[in-house]
Amino acid sequence: MLLDIQNLHLEFRTFDGTSKVLAGVDLQMQRGDVVGLVGETGCGKSMTALAIPGLIPMPPGVITEGRVLFDGEDVLAKSPSELQRFRARRLGMIFQDPTTNLNPVYNIREQLVDAVLYQRMDQQSVPGRWRGWLPSAKQIRHDAFQRAVELMALVGIPDGDRRIEEYPHQFSGGMRQRVLIAMALAGEPDLLIADEPTTALDVTIQAQILRLIDGLVKKLGLSVLIITHNLGVVAQTCQTVAVMYAGRVIETAPVRELFRNPRHPYTQGLLKAVPTANVRRGELEGIPGTIPNLTQPPEGCRFHPRCPHVMDVCKAVVPPGYRVGAEHTAYCHLYAEGQ
Amino acid sequence: MSSESPLLEVRALSKHFARRGGVFGQRKAIFKAVDEVSFSVPRGKTLGLVGESGSGKTTIGKCALRLVEPTAGQILFDGQDITHISGRDLQRRRSDMQMIYQSPAASLNGRMTVGEIIGEPLWLHEKLSGGQRRDRVMELLHVVGLKSEHYYRFPHEFSGGQQQRVGIARALAVKPKLLILDEPTSALDVSVQAQVLNLLHDLQRQFGLSYLFISHDLSVVRYLCDQVALLYLGKVVEIADVETIFTRPKHPYTQALISAIPEPDPDGGREQILLKGDLNLRAPKQGCPFAPRCHAAKLAQCDTVAPPLVEVEPRHQVACHLHPALSSSRL
Repeated sequence: MLLDIQNLHLEFRTFDGTSKVLAGVDLQMQRGDVVGLVGETGCGKSMTALAIPGLIPMPPGVITEGRVLFDGEDVLAKSPSELQRFRARRLGMIFQDPTTNLNPVYNIREQLVDAVLYQRMDQQSVPGRWRGWLPSAKQIRHDAFQRAVELMALVGIPDGDRRIEEYPHQFSGGMRQRVLIAMALAGEPDLLIADEPTTALDVTIQAQILRLIDGLVKKLGLSVLIITHNLGVVAQTCQTVAVMYAGRVIETAPVRELFRNPRHPYTQGLLKAVPTANVRRGELEGIPGTIPNLTQPPEGCRFHPRCPHVMDVCKAVVPPGYRVGAEHTAYCHLYAEGQ
Repeated sequence: MSSESPLLEVRALSKHFARRGGVFGQRKAIFKAVDEVSFSVPRGKTLGLVGESGSGKTTIGKCALRLVEPTAGQILFDGQDITHISGRDLQRRRSDMQMIYQSPAASLNGRMTVGEIIGEPLWLHEKLSGGQRRDRVMELLHVVGLKSEHYYRFPHEFSGGQQQRVGIARALAVKPKLLILDEPTSALDVSVQAQVLNLLHDLQRQFGLSYLFISHDLSVVRYLCDQVALLYLGKVVEIADVETIFTRPKHPYTQALISAIPEPDPDGGREQILLKGDLNLRAPKQGCPFAPRCHAAKLAQCDTVAPPLVEVEPRHQVACHLHPALSSSRL
């Protein structure tokens, strides 16, 4: 098991009250998996992802319960320096907006070489401020530069040894996202976390980036956690899907099973809300109501105020995961024994 | 005017921006955001304007409303040329066409209550005040699916979907004939997007509205539009009925764009056409603007002659050298 998030509870304590952002997230990933984490705005999908590298701002965030195990190690128990090492070696992360994640006053070479050096910080045995002037450091920098050019080629930036000298503004949105993927891959990570990697991109560029990620999975044996609100992206790239609603994973299944046979009423509603070729005009079904306020979330199942199949038990008891098929789990009382 | 004539007609509309460069902005280049675009919006129907970022779709919407002055071309609304009208005539026309924006939060004044926001156009255009205005606002709130108690609330108290409903109510206040919808659902989640799309559909049937629907999301366009115009770098590359566009696209760009939509179906194994490179705003000065990325067989004239928009089938126009005109006598 590469990643095992168990019953994670996260609160944000603010002046407006305590917002219960995550309420018992369970998520498992095997090595080599491509997992999609889907959900609407504010459902906690980004917070779940940020918990893996320990990047949740604390305060105001407080993890009240649960564990995050990465390759058997408890991430939440790590010290800051251990965390730093862990992020550099084991994780790569890319975000939604490629523009704000690159520094506009440094060229790509400086930023990418920096990323490579950061992964190799142990090799720099010379301590202190003289490090940069010593011959051995020069060799390290040279190797890092070579590696940076290799990475540019790996992510499909043509003419990498020339373009590496350019600045972020000279790159298009799709190319900037490729640079960020290159940085994320610098440390040969086990897990790539992609938080809405294509949301800011046009659809033709989105197709290119998704194809690139797909190729990297095959070539490098990478595991990827893709966070997105776009069900189409999930259907086309992931093997396993976890659907989140209001701070919980409410259904997990292999991708085909989830789209063919969704069991949780929220997943069913979500799939019906996407306009496809077969839906006639005026017959698109939304989910009535809006997402709950997380400072006063509904008791029991957080979806019950919007659920068409609501029962008395839903209003009081938080549903546990029920196995509804091979590797298919739904957190819904409809699938309890005897129902 | 007969009801057969289109409500909005745009003829050879162009909008050029000067782009300054060099030291002290001495060097001037012309950027053609919109380049000789023609289309029409039929009464009671929806025309979708589709394109990637930088294709000029929002500029066209703003030109149609005369919020941006077009460089050249003609805009006809209800048979009347409104390209050069001004003052009171323009103001009167504006009550016939209203715009709904992408970001509902940014397009509502945070210091006004919802009642004031929706009532403002009633005061500006119809000089309604007091009880009359209040009654109309209440009616509008119900039309868009909000409640009377929302009258005294402020925009920040609403969710994104509800804010968009307020924006729609404000646009409907002056009883427009045409709504220009600039990416009205792209800031919303899918479950809320479905609610807003259905509302737009109901309103169209109820009030006989015409929509100019600007979007980059082809699945939404397929759901809501009757006709679709595809834009690439400020030029229309293909116009046809929505069914034709999605089942028999002719232009290589349309084909690539449609194949690139990720279908929410793991077995929807459509052959994807991957385009080379990306939309480069510094387009070639001559020839087809799409030529550098085109995956189709390239002809000699692609790099030298800009293809005109020609009818290849009834009600289906394409601007591509690969598709010659319906009959040569037309040329």
